[in-house]
Amino acid sequence: MQSIEYFQVECPEPTGGEYYRQITNDVLLDHNLLKVFHKLHVFIDPKIPIFVATGILNKITTLVRVGDFANINPQEGKMTLVIANETYLAPMLKIFWERFGSDHVEQPDRFTVILYDVKESPQEIEEIVVGDPSISLGKDLIYVFRLIAPEGFRVRQEIHNNGRFTFVAGEDTLPDDIGDLVGEKFALMGETP
Amino acid sequence: MTLVPVTYKGGIHQHDIIIGLIEDLGGYIIQKHLIAQEVVLQAFVPREDIEQIARIAKPLFGEINEAPLVGTEIAIVSMSLEIHHLPHPSCDFAEYARRIGAKTNMVSPARGPGKRISAINDEERDVINEHDIAVYAFGNFEACIEHKWPAMRRGIEVPVIVMGGPEEETLRRIISPPADDYVGNVGRFMRRTKEAEEIGKLDEIVAKVARVLEKRRGEIAKDPLSVSPARLMEIIMEQVPAIHDVTSPTPLTVQMAGLRVKLPYDTFAPVLRDLGIESGVRLGDIVDVLPSRMRDYILVRIRPFSETNTVI
Repeated sequence: MQSIEYFQVECPEPTGGEYYRQITNDVLLDHNLLKVFHKLHVFIDPKIPIFVATGILNKITTLVRVGDFANINPQEGKMTLVIANETYLAPMLKIFWERFGSDHVEQPDRFTVILYDVKESPQEIEEIVVGDPSISLGKDLIYVFRLIAPEGFRVRQEIHNNGRFTFVAGEDTLPDDIGDLVGEKFALMGETP
Repeated sequence: MTLVPVTYKGGIHQHDIIIGLIEDLGGYIIQKHLIAQEVVLQAFVPREDIEQIARIAKPLFGEINEAPLVGTEIAIVSMSLEIHHLPHPSCDFAEYARRIGAKTNMVSPARGPGKRISAINDEERDVINEHDIAVYAFGNFEACIEHKWPAMRRGIEVPVIVMGGPEEETLRRIISPPADDYVGNVGRFMRRTKEAEEIGKLDEIVAKVARVLEKRRGEIAKDPLSVSPARLMEIIMEQVPAIHDVTSPTPLTVQMAGLRVKLPYDTFAPVLRDLGIESGVRLGDIVDVLPSRMRDYILVRIRPFSETNTVI
């Protein structure tokens, strides 16, 4: 919990609120997403019924480049890439195929990729961007808050931009003035809506 | 002779001595599990012979314990089969109850979750009613439990135990019509029950289930069944060879006042009704052979003595 500056669960039922604090903590920990949040406020009112989660996210500015997970050994007429982490292997191959053509790209085994007759220097290959964690972060956050929110709350609205995340869910159609409620929750965290 | 449910745990070596002993004493083996070098028997044995079995089992490093959940089928009614409610806490309890002898089935209404939208249909209701007892696993909010309870309870005739997040007193206050018992502080949670306090809660649920089942056993004893379910199981095992081809872990599931036979109803219902038991009594005379709502199984309900005037 240390990385979060503010973490509150607000609920008219104190016992239920305490359980949801535990659930939120467990699910975020399980999915390794606790460190993503700088501030998090969860509001649940089962009487309405509505679930609102508002969060300020820590900045993730790093783009993933080939050099981050692969070592490049230039040889005559070819470059051998030794992959240390497979996570971004598939998007990297896709980019290589599009850029160099599949004739110039070979993957003899799981952790090795060989590029034949490419004009770029090894430094330029290392700089190729293959992934942006902030894009998948939004999807991951929506997934975990679907788990955290009570299951019957199937009418949802999610907003993720400028380091802010909002997840609203309810059983019925969401009220028109839901933006005001979300603004109130941001204000509780000391943020301007 | 009163038969009591027990579990026997011991080494696999010479365990057939115990099986033979239980059968010779007039008891019945309900289920036998062989787990590596260990054998676990679930059985009904005469109360007065438990000490004798324990004495004979001692040199074999076996122990026998009374297990009130043996020979019962429990429905765990989970509000959904999504990750929100499974595997914790519904599976945790189902698995715990199985370890001490119960046969548990997970039942989940298609529209269980939610407050206003939750509902139960006739098939789900009938499936729950085929069990000896239902344990409802609710969520954390008293407002939701209070609102959805009447809809979830409608038409349920078997005893019901409610577990939910609020305190037990709160559950007692908000639940109307009343359930048979309540276990508080066991709502929705997303981690495994492994702390001593959490295991204690599972024990509390088991104790309450056992208490309600004992009460039901007492009621049955006042008007005894025409044949004991365990005996009926043995008769079917002997006389219906097709039951040995069923691949289910429990082809015959013993209940408190009946039996679930995992054979197709259309083919085997007439066969079961025609089974001769003894002295000209056919099975159809003392039981109702009904189609189960669970797949195409057969549900055998044993009629009490007051209806058949026969006890076998």
